[in-house]
Amino acid sequence: MKKFKYFIIPSLVFVATFFSCEKDDICSATTETTPRMHVVFYDNNLPSDNSPKNVSKLRITGVGHPDSKVLTGFDGSKNASEVYLPLKTTENSTQYVLHQGYGLDANENVLGNPDTITVSYIRKDVFVSRACGYKTIFENVVITLEDDGNTWIKLLQAENDNQTVEHETDIHYKIYH
Amino acid sequence: MKQTSIIKYIISPLFICLFFGATSYAQNDSLSIKKTDTLKFKESYGLRLGGDLGKLIRSFLDDEYKGFEINGDYRLTRRWYLAGEIGTEEKTTINDYINVTTQGSYFKAGADYNAYENWYGMENMIYGGLRVGVSTFSQNLNSYKVYSQDPYWTPQYTSEESVKYGGLSAIWGEFIVGLKVEVLNNLYLGLNAQFKYKITEDQPDNFENIYIPGFQKTYDSGGFGFGYGYTISYLIPFYKKDK
Repeated sequence: MKKFKYFIIPSLVFVATFFSCEKDDICSATTETTPRMHVVFYDNNLPSDNSPKNVSKLRITGVGHPDSKVLTGFDGSKNASEVYLPLKTTENSTQYVLHQGYGLDANENVLGNPDTITVSYIRKDVFVSRACGYKTIFENVVITLEDDGNTWIKLLQAENDNQTVEHETDIHYKIYH
Repeated sequence: MKQTSIIKYIISPLFICLFFGATSYAQNDSLSIKKTDTLKFKESYGLRLGGDLGKLIRSFLDDEYKGFEINGDYRLTRRWYLAGEIGTEEKTTINDYINVTTQGSYFKAGADYNAYENWYGMENMIYGGLRVGVSTFSQNLNSYKVYSQDPYWTPQYTSEESVKYGGLSAIWGEFIVGLKVEVLNNLYLGLNAQFKYKITEDQPDNFENIYIPGFQKTYDSGGFGFGYGYTISYLIPFYKKDK
């Protein structure tokens, strides 16, 4: 019994010190948090064809971005068939300029055709976990195109009625051009 | 804030040292009794009442914690005690994305078994026990910030609107191990560790229970919980009985 006592005290010490240090709660990168809007480009001449069509030299900027930053990966140097658009969690709409055929000529004039789209939605904050807190999901998402008389975008189509943006693996919107 | 959490972590080792001191002191004391006292020793039976010192001290040191617990046990037989705790806790949990205050009270009831074979004249305990715990509480979501991995639009939405999730309750089972050492006549210092497992809880809508009074911090990985206590208690002897 004396031995028992000398065993249990150190184990109590161990337990008390071990559990008084709480583990750090870090939001894992694999956790599904606030989604971006998944938009895929298709050929307007072949609407029944289900394979995406590249947009040449696509440059994307958010309207009203404080640093006029280009969306990462869309600086107008590459062709793209799909894009993940981050949506503002502070407002009920986000505007982007999708600039097709971006480039500069010898006189530094900007080439190509910029189209402005407005994504409007209803925000809903959903609890994820103690480490990640809340994510915003977007409901009744609608994209409207600003008609500048010369749009390269011909048709915008949501995948579903009352389109919800929740999982990035889903396609949310199709743009025909 | 950083400083208080560091202090919180050193409380445990500090108290353990104190208890080591107390244990050896008690032993020496009773050894001398053994030499002089030749009468047959009778053990005290009665009600032992006390409080949790650890929770009180943490309430002073930690801005984000207030807690108070009264504990008691009643000796039934040589080895078995009826035991229970009643208390209140208020805990604010803050990280980068949420700020939550949990407030409520709890009640635990069960039995302790004293596994320690006391030396002559001593009435210490090294015990294991079981409890069922019940807590009623509320959670106040003080603020939150939306989590997004994409850095393009920053900062993300922050809600400062306080939302109260009230009328929550939880039930859990608990295994407790600890010791109680008589440091002065009928005055006991105790140390214990608690392993808990949640049986049922009310899940708030679009939120979860971050902390449950009495159960303490919840974990994402499952229903387990842990706790510890540093107690001081006084034995009110009702009668004495031979060993």
